[in-house]
Amino acid sequence: MMEKLLLRGDNFLKLVTGLGKDYSIYLPELKGNKLHFIKHNTEDTSNLSNENISYISLYRTFEPLKNFFFKAREIVAEDFKDDIPKHEEKPYCIIGVKACDLKGFLVQDHVFLNHDYKDPTYIKNRESNLIISVDCTSPIDTCFCLSMGIKPYPEENFDLNLSPIDNDFIVATGSARGEEIIKAYSSLFDKIGPEHLEKQGKNRKASEKIVEENIKQHEIPYQEMFSGIIEKNYEDSAWKDEASTCVECGACNTICPTCHCFLLYDQKDEEKMARLRVWDSCLIKDFALIAAGANPRPFLWMRLRNRFEKKFDYFPKVANFYACTGCGRCISACPGKIDIRRILKRLVDNVHK
Amino acid sequence: MYISKNPYRPIKSEVMDVITETSTIKTIKIRPGEPIDFKTGQFIELTIPGVGEAPFTPSSRPAIKEMLEITVMKVGKVTEAIHNLKKGDIIGLRGPFGNGYPLDEFRGKEVLIVGGGCGFAPLRSLMYEFFDHEDEFKKLFFRGGCKTSKDFLYRKEIEEWAKRNNINLELTVDEGDSEWDWKVGVVTTILDDVDMDFANGVAIVCGPPIMMKYATKKLLEMGFRDKNIYLSMERNMSCGIGKCGHCRLGIYYTCKDGPVFRYDMIKNYPDIWD
Repeated sequence: MMEKLLLRGDNFLKLVTGLGKDYSIYLPELKGNKLHFIKHNTEDTSNLSNENISYISLYRTFEPLKNFFFKAREIVAEDFKDDIPKHEEKPYCIIGVKACDLKGFLVQDHVFLNHDYKDPTYIKNRESNLIISVDCTSPIDTCFCLSMGIKPYPEENFDLNLSPIDNDFIVATGSARGEEIIKAYSSLFDKIGPEHLEKQGKNRKASEKIVEENIKQHEIPYQEMFSGIIEKNYEDSAWKDEASTCVECGACNTICPTCHCFLLYDQKDEEKMARLRVWDSCLIKDFALIAAGANPRPFLWMRLRNRFEKKFDYFPKVANFYACTGCGRCISACPGKIDIRRILKRLVDNVHK
Repeated sequence: MYISKNPYRPIKSEVMDVITETSTIKTIKIRPGEPIDFKTGQFIELTIPGVGEAPFTPSSRPAIKEMLEITVMKVGKVTEAIHNLKKGDIIGLRGPFGNGYPLDEFRGKEVLIVGGGCGFAPLRSLMYEFFDHEDEFKKLFFRGGCKTSKDFLYRKEIEEWAKRNNINLELTVDEGDSEWDWKVGVVTTILDDVDMDFANGVAIVCGPPIMMKYATKKLLEMGFRDKNIYLSMERNMSCGIGKCGHCRLGIYYTCKDGPVFRYDMIKNYPDIWD
């Protein structure tokens, strides 16, 4: 990894403008109290104010990062052609990505890159998109990344990472492409001093403290306690209790950075045939239904259990990680107030008390 | 072998013939546009352009590369469209996917094959593989059951198998009629006269879940070891390549790690028969 550099706030705007030649730039914007990735018009940097810059470090966006790589709805094959469909749009440069979303790549890469069959559309998106992550400076009350073994600042899986220091940023490179960008825009970067690193350390500690407080307040167990929580609770009443308010909307799936299930959907207009890969939701009744009529999970509580089984039993067994990032999106998204923190606590308590 | 870069792309293929087997089952003969070299028990995904895809295990002889047959019961949207196919229609194929039958594990052994209903389709392919390598298997026992004589898929063909050497074959229907001169009763009732070394033999079961459940129970009672019972599991296999998540069974994906499972691999998962 290259040495860390300093990017001054006004140079950040120049960097964004420069990258805009090759990439569609997406930055977090505050709408109400939620941050959303919004496409930025790089022709006109005047609309990027210091306030906008401050949004890039706050906390995770409302929607997960996965949508830039494994899109909600994407044509993955056309007619009988082997080539994946061409897109006119430039690749994405996503700025303000948080560490929790980067952990999502553990799952998405495992599914789409690391098997006998690779997903060429995902590979293309992964190879062409640029990730500029940023330390999380203001974790919100649903954040519990630390209990899932993630720090509130990115350590891997980014091209560049920015750590806000007052109005400037410490820049770390995490990939060969990141290094190329540093070289191409070398005049925008300055050397850092020990005072910058000290400040970075202080800021990071402060963010960790916020998450630690969340974990303490909600009594959220750490992942070191998760071994066996699904197998030992398989017939527990927790599933029926917790699923009683589920309305089968699938929001927890669409909002989740690790959910990867999809369905293939074919459409045909005139002579052209397209196959779409569309996000699917395991909470929906007919998810596992077969045409002959059998359904392995006919009840909602079974499907809620299945969601937890996939994340806390299947993935640790086949890939050696728990498929949760502690982003807390499913907590805010659920209209039935189903709370993953509460469920994990209950499962762990059952096993350890 | 499937050499496509894009695993979601179907291979353009042509329907060569459509054979009506029963009132709800048809066999489609297909000429794949590119060679599909499948192992018996592996499956393909069949695309009806603009309608969708569904998984089927070919019912034909794996040795025949230029023509592939699938036998399809009309149960849903895609299978209904398949039943409406005519000679010359263009369809898509992806695959082969899954593990198929581990023939090496069967060599030199006595093999009991238990089939029911539409489960005869994959078993037909398997039986021809056995017949093509007859001397490699000690003895074959075939036990097949259907609801009525009218539902009895491949009846004439299966009755021909009975005339072969080295096979002991018995058939049954749940409800007998004047057209039927084999046994009457559910398929487990015709397992009692199977005379083989159960502890060292292999049993292969393919059929509706309820039939597989009771057949497996019976086989265990007879003395088969759970690691020698091979089951074809039915799950919603959509992508066929272990990604879409629909067909998960415990730590397995039915499409990638199955569809043929040894009973000992899956017996501890609840609800495997649902």
